[in-house]
Amino acid sequence: MYSSLSNRRDFIKKMAVLSAMTAAATMFPGILFAEEQEKNLPKGGNLDWKKAPCRFCGVGCGVLVGVENGKAIAVKGDPKSSVNKGLCCVKGYHSVMAMYGKDRLTKPLVKKNGAYVETSMEEALDLIASKMKETIKDHGKDAVSIYGSGQWTIPDGYVASKLFKGCIGTNNVEANARLCMATAVTGFLTSFGLDEPMGCYEDIDHADVFVLWGNNMAEMHPVLFSRLLDQRLKRGVKIIDFATRTTRTSMAADKSILFIPQTDLAVANAICYEIINKGWVNTAFVNKHCNFSKGLTNMGYGLEDNYKFSDKPEKIDFETYKKFLEDYTPEKVEKMSGVSAKDIKYMAAYYGDPNKKVMSFWCMGPNQHSRGTWMNNLIYNIHLLTGKISTPGNSPFSLTGQPSACGTVREVGTLTHKLPHGVVMNKEHREFAAKIWDVPVENIPSKPTYHTVEMFRALDRGDIKFMWIQVTNPMVTMPKLKRYRDGAKKEGRFIVVSDIYPTPTTDIADVILPSAMWIEREGMYGNSERRTQYFEQMIDPPGEAISDTWQLVEVAKRMGYEKQFYYKKETHIEEIYNEYRRHHEGKKHNMAPLEVLKTQPGAMWPYVDGKSTKWRFNSKYDPACTNGEDFHFYGKPDGKAIIWQRPYEPAAESPDSEYPYWLCTGRVVEHWHTGSMTRRIPVLHKAMPHGYVELNPGDAKRLQIRTGDKVKLTTRRGDIVLPASVNERGVPAPMQVFVPFFDENMLINDITLDSFCPISKEPDYKKCAVKVEKV
Amino acid sequence: MKRLVVISLFTILFAAFIVVWNYSYQTGLEEAYVPIETQSHVDLIPSETGVFQRSEFALDYANMAVDESHERTLKTYYNNRAYHGAPPSIPHPVKDKRTMGGNVCLQCHQNGGFAAKFNAYAPVTPHPEKINCKQCHVEQNTQSLFRGSNFEKITVPKVGINNALPGSPPVIPHQIQLRENCLACHAGPSAPREIRVSHPERINCRQCHVPNNKVVTDIGIFKRNDND
Amino acid sequence: MPIKSYLAHPHDNQKHVLIAALSALDHCEVIPAENKDILIVVTDTETKIEEDNLKEKMEALSSLKLLAMVSGFDTPKNK
Repeated sequence: MYSSLSNRRDFIKKMAVLSAMTAAATMFPGILFAEEQEKNLPKGGNLDWKKAPCRFCGVGCGVLVGVENGKAIAVKGDPKSSVNKGLCCVKGYHSVMAMYGKDRLTKPLVKKNGAYVETSMEEALDLIASKMKETIKDHGKDAVSIYGSGQWTIPDGYVASKLFKGCIGTNNVEANARLCMATAVTGFLTSFGLDEPMGCYEDIDHADVFVLWGNNMAEMHPVLFSRLLDQRLKRGVKIIDFATRTTRTSMAADKSILFIPQTDLAVANAICYEIINKGWVNTAFVNKHCNFSKGLTNMGYGLEDNYKFSDKPEKIDFETYKKFLEDYTPEKVEKMSGVSAKDIKYMAAYYGDPNKKVMSFWCMGPNQHSRGTWMNNLIYNIHLLTGKISTPGNSPFSLTGQPSACGTVREVGTLTHKLPHGVVMNKEHREFAAKIWDVPVENIPSKPTYHTVEMFRALDRGDIKFMWIQVTNPMVTMPKLKRYRDGAKKEGRFIVVSDIYPTPTTDIADVILPSAMWIEREGMYGNSERRTQYFEQMIDPPGEAISDTWQLVEVAKRMGYEKQFYYKKETHIEEIYNEYRRHHEGKKHNMAPLEVLKTQPGAMWPYVDGKSTKWRFNSKYDPACTNGEDFHFYGKPDGKAIIWQRPYEPAAESPDSEYPYWLCTGRVVEHWHTGSMTRRIPVLHKAMPHGYVELNPGDAKRLQIRTGDKVKLTTRRGDIVLPASVNERGVPAPMQVFVPFFDENMLINDITLDSFCPISKEPDYKKCAVKVEKV
Repeated sequence: MKRLVVISLFTILFAAFIVVWNYSYQTGLEEAYVPIETQSHVDLIPSETGVFQRSEFALDYANMAVDESHERTLKTYYNNRAYHGAPPSIPHPVKDKRTMGGNVCLQCHQNGGFAAKFNAYAPVTPHPEKINCKQCHVEQNTQSLFRGSNFEKITVPKVGINNALPGSPPVIPHQIQLRENCLACHAGPSAPREIRVSHPERINCRQCHVPNNKVVTDIGIFKRNDND
Repeated sequence: MPIKSYLAHPHDNQKHVLIAALSALDHCEVIPAENKDILIVVTDTETKIEEDNLKEKMEALSSLKLLAMVSGFDTPKNK
């Protein structure tokens, strides 16, 4: 990529421009000079560059896809996108290659006598519709279900919800975001009454300190992490990595603090204690804008079938809360968490310093946590006590892992209790949705049915007979996988899987539908900062593949819902989006019109009077604030956010003498989720060809294990053999091991535990007890 | 009267002395308490730490002018190694023959800079913490050979062919052991011109550039193993 | 042979007028910001006198509110 700056004069000119840009950037953080940045990109002959959001994670980078002769052949970062400003990560740069794997599904496959037979799309859709009708007739509406994902585009999720909740009349709609984002949702709802972050990525340009809570950002959200590193070079900001494992992020951070799994609850409370004890509370803010509450404790872990829990919030006063925190002095917490009191005070001092703007980032650490909702609440507590919220640079920021976890699952509401606007339990919300959907309000049941784990349990038990799985791979990602795989294979279950490649999930299917992915169709994604982004169809899908949206529309028509599914093939995405926007009308959640999304790299809702809202709940930026104060947490009836009293409780399963190690699972920078796409990209597969188990060098030495040696991991659910990795990508703390979950040939989830957060029902993939042996 | 005051003053002082002395003697008898700092020990991961080393100079690198008349090329870079990946030899005379290297070498090779004596920029070592330099790097005191050699140099990675798509970031075509620090060789005036990075200010290098040779044999493209 | 860069602030709603006016001048390059009302101007002139003349011309523009120099270089004569 070397280009010589052949002319000294040109070089000096470039320097002059650069220094002017730097000066401008210090005056206006976030300023863009697209023209100049575009000049530095390689010119690609007669390539046609078209804009799209990236296919992979929830950061939502803007990419430009180079299309030539009907094929996508190159990718570059979109300099006009304020998300990534022209930079991508290795997955993004190679993302188009994910469409060209040799074993791409191109024809519908139907299982007949144990073998898959190719059929036409018409025939396959007929079969699905008739099977659904038959199941409903024989076993009732709640015997059919759909399981989608945060990779569903907005129209996919919308028609799924309309068909199942509005037309068929069952709340059996779930998505894999239950396994990653459900906790973030309940965290927001309990603390603020409204989902999704109040701030935005621009906070990065203003904050002075970044605290990463169990978040290996350098690998999982690399483009945002590069923005942090950029700010460190330019402004000397501090990055604190607070985690259970030493990673690339720890290497880059200014300070790395390790804690014993699950004790983040105690440490967060200790930070609150320290803030109150040292008098760093922003009293004016707390008095005006916050309430204190406590909920039920000893909630259990959801390990048994049909487990039910609902919290009973109870208002408390500040003194009670202060008294509760006395159990969490830094000195007491040091003993249980392994974090020195000095380090706890160090973090608290940054949060407490009125002159430092602090941004907290987290993703799966606090979310995939058996007390995840509590953990989210506790981080908000810190920001609320210090009043560091909803202002540029002061931002508790919950990151997402899928391109439309926010856009589709959280905003469209493809979860059992949700509607596009509101929840099924609320009569007005049901009436509102029924009106737009053009269905009788009695159609929408008022009771939620199964959350994801319980839905697969119901499939195993036989309460659910029909399941349609789209854009996700649960036979790799479900915890305690073996039970659910065996359950899905049982007699009398009918499973439809829409995907682009054969996966362990298509292995359990009775019908496999080939899908059009990403830019082979038209759609929208919504990223972590409430930004909705549109992409056009750029290339043709292979064979008979069609979009997930159109698969659902065709089946809905066949089931007799032509009136509700009136969309025309050529314009259906536009029609669906316009219909969907009606659910969110109003200053609190208005979505940008499609024309706007087509011309710019996305817009952030609430989109009011032609403007994105960058900081919600702050009257200076958010037109929905009406109380005449600086801040208005209008998600709660009295306009006040809640500071929750949440104690420490142990994990569902902790190491003991028989299973002495902690097992944690996660991702690597090269692979995304179950690797069904990224493993088919040669560059990424060669860089990270298979799964492994990471051991602490001390443990490895004692067990005489070296990198590459075969290691057997055993839990109460089963065992698995993996090659060891010592001192490579990451280093777990002593008596802990880490395994990435992308490898379908080494299914770590066969041995993980299906305990979940009782409030969010999101499983804890980060903690269970395991035995480690050299084979 | 005066005398009485003086005597009583001294008596008080003496009593105070005895009390203080006793107290300090008693506390001295207690077992020594050394505060034990439970160190939150953070392991260093060689392959990961290196990426961020020298990143404090990233902006300087980005603003550094290119001195074309003293550039190294990839050819001279490879010529100075017995094979691709071998430690380079020392291509210049060394004054102090007796040292193991250490500070003598690091004077120039820790941070680089122009050495007027050799009319060149000193290459920066990616592993300044290893101070027994001459353990691996040796001088070349003669150009003649004792006997000829049949050793064949393996083909070296070429520049410009390591990206999968037009404009996509090239992969890392070499092993990174002892060369974890990317900026040492890929940035600054001593970097061979062909492999000098155009954007040294982007310091999380392996966000975009990944190794392509983790496994030595070619593993081909991922394909499902249906037997599982 | 001086090269100088400036940040130019236009009067309200005059950004496009200013871009047009500056682009019309010789030895003068304009890079407008995408999302803020500010422009980068780079001048590249042969002599000090030419440079002074150009600066006068720029400052005379009615759409310009403020012109702030950021950096200046003088390249050696032999190049």
